Amino acid sequence: MKKTYLAILALALCLGMMLAGPAAAAEPIKIGILGPFTGSLAHNAGEMKKGMLLALDKINGAGGINGRPLELIYGDSSCKPANGVAAVKKLLTRNDVLVVGGGYCSSVNIATSAIADQEKTPNVVAIAISPTVTNRGLKYVFRTSPNSPMFLMGMNNWLAEVKKPKTVAFFMENSDYGRDGQKIWEAQSKKIGSKVLGSFYFEIGDTDFTTQISKLKKLNPDVVFNIASTTEAALIQKQAKELGYVTQWIGVGGQFTQAYFKMTGAISEFAMGSSLEPTKAMKDPVTAAFVKAYMKKYPGSRPGIFSSQGYDNLMVIADAIKRAGKLSGDLAKDRTAVRDALKTTDLKLSQGPIKFGPDGQVNTLLPSVVQVQLKDCKPDTYIIFPFDRASNKYQDPTPWAQRKCK
Amino acid sequence: MESLFVQQVVNGLIVGSVYSLIAIGLTMIFGVMKISNFAHGDFSMAGAYVAVFVMAWLPGWLGWVGSLLAALALVGVLGIFLECTIFRPLMTRWTDLDIIMVSIGLFIVLENLAQLFFGATPRMLPDPFGGATVNLGIFSTSLMRLFCIAFSIVTIIALQLYLNRARMGVAIRATAQNRSAAQLMGININQVYTLTFAVGAGLAGLGGVLYGTLFAIFPTMGAMPTLKAFVVTILGGMGNIRGAIFSGFILGVAETLGGNYISMEYKNAIGFIIIILVLLIIPHGLFGRKEGS
Repeated sequence: MKKTYLAILALALCLGMMLAGPAAAAEPIKIGILGPFTGSLAHNAGEMKKGMLLALDKINGAGGINGRPLELIYGDSSCKPANGVAAVKKLLTRNDVLVVGGGYCSSVNIATSAIADQEKTPNVVAIAISPTVTNRGLKYVFRTSPNSPMFLMGMNNWLAEVKKPKTVAFFMENSDYGRDGQKIWEAQSKKIGSKVLGSFYFEIGDTDFTTQISKLKKLNPDVVFNIASTTEAALIQKQAKELGYVTQWIGVGGQFTQAYFKMTGAISEFAMGSSLEPTKAMKDPVTAAFVKAYMKKYPGSRPGIFSSQGYDNLMVIADAIKRAGKLSGDLAKDRTAVRDALKTTDLKLSQGPIKFGPDGQVNTLLPSVVQVQLKDCKPDTYIIFPFDRASNKYQDPTPWAQRKCK
Repeated sequence: MESLFVQQVVNGLIVGSVYSLIAIGLTMIFGVMKISNFAHGDFSMAGAYVAVFVMAWLPGWLGWVGSLLAALALVGVLGIFLECTIFRPLMTRWTDLDIIMVSIGLFIVLENLAQLFFGATPRMLPDPFGGATVNLGIFSTSLMRLFCIAFSIVTIIALQLYLNRARMGVAIRATAQNRSAAQLMGININQVYTLTFAVGAGLAGLGGVLYGTLFAIFPTMGAMPTLKAFVVTILGGMGNIRGAIFSGFILGVAETLGGNYISMEYKNAIGFIIIILVLLIIPHGLFGRKEGS
């Protein structure tokens, strides 16, 4: 009895292998994916991976590239440059991957991209914000997400095209984060002819900002640039109200967390920042399709910025391999062919249009400008610029006495 | 016409009133026990978290008044507990420096316990006035901020009355002036120590509720009040309660005016610059008396 079962099982296996044979015969194209899959950023790296797996389904579901499926091989950096270097070396020389994608953590990617470049292998970085990744003249390095100056570009365009403030002031966290942001916005203010009335700083952990806000009230600039983290940003909004001060507050956007809205309530109305969250940009059909597909694959979860950046990263890589034509089998030749194809990338993906500049940095992504607006007195951020992505219209801050919500 | 000068003075007085309330406990404990308690700001943190829980239970004004009472009582009990278990046993055996180190260690432990139990997410207490603001022409502020000044002043007056009129209050002052003489007069020194810690911690707890309503509540919030309380205490003369009261307001106003007219970046440094000057020129503080006089 037992033997019969085994025989049937063996037969079934043979049949199955024969049926699956032709498809499996096409050798997969190996793509290396770096990321901090363990350690404190593992959650975010997991989000990136979920976006990549969605892209992989789409690519392989459509028959792969020139009949060959993509295969992802993961390398764990734990967000430590030394681990990242070891992982990328293994991917390049042992796994013989065609392209290295993924990324995350600027310090890791600065190191790993240099190694991929030495090995003449295209490295398409998915997530990392430091400009250094792409500004060293490396010939095989690309990045599919915005760097820090680009993250503020959408806001700069909004200032130039829409707000055109006559006077501005800076009220910044006394750190690289605050001072770097100030440099970018100072240059933009000069360009659009806004007069800087004053620059004030505060220390991380400060709680009383009434001195600075009183002074800002006296200066009365059209726009106050305020780079601050959640707690400080929330306290500044609250104390501005207590002093009866109204201005257009502009920050980076990272402060708009749940804790922030819980602390400020309706007080944060009209504050602004930048955002690449796909769920905010549902007006864009490509982004909306991505969000829909993601929620179908992962029921009960919503894609965040990292999933979107992971998805776009693999889609860009697959597109370049496809355009590079039939692979010759000579790894060095094929890697360079894909690099050349990457240079002429022209796609529209979940983050927006993707084209690379001569340095390999995507230069077509504009993080959207968001403003805090109220719906039933509940604050949330809504995209107001660029107009083709905007869900809401910009609202000029109104005096406190005219605001109904508390 | 709003005047920036008046506005900044008012801002300074408001912050100063909270500084005073917190610093009084520190200076009392120093005066009576000669202990520099670097964990003092954590009494404020504890008071603020007491308020978070009370206000989750009771709405509006009831919650706010309940928070003040609960913070005073519970943080007072925390003070008694720490005095009995840590400070009094150490006081007789160890040097001042040891006790300073222990209090710094205690500060770190309390901060981390708070983070463990309450999480690092910052919170704010709801404003019982619903965020109502007042504009008096020459300056504007919120009702809550004005209330903070009034509340601090009333509390400080009540404390002064207690120290001057009540039997135990007089005992505290006597111990602060001369420990051995007080003992010879039949004062139970240990009772005085415990009471001093309870009152000092309780007042810091009250200050924490005000601080949490004006600002934000998070596990490391005690660090800034501790530093400011030390500035205030040294400025007013170590152990001098009346000195601490005035110095709190002086520090608040000096910070806002200094920030406004000298440099915003050095706003926090102004207090410490004042300390250095005071220690160099008048080592016993603005209101201090020489030892033994």
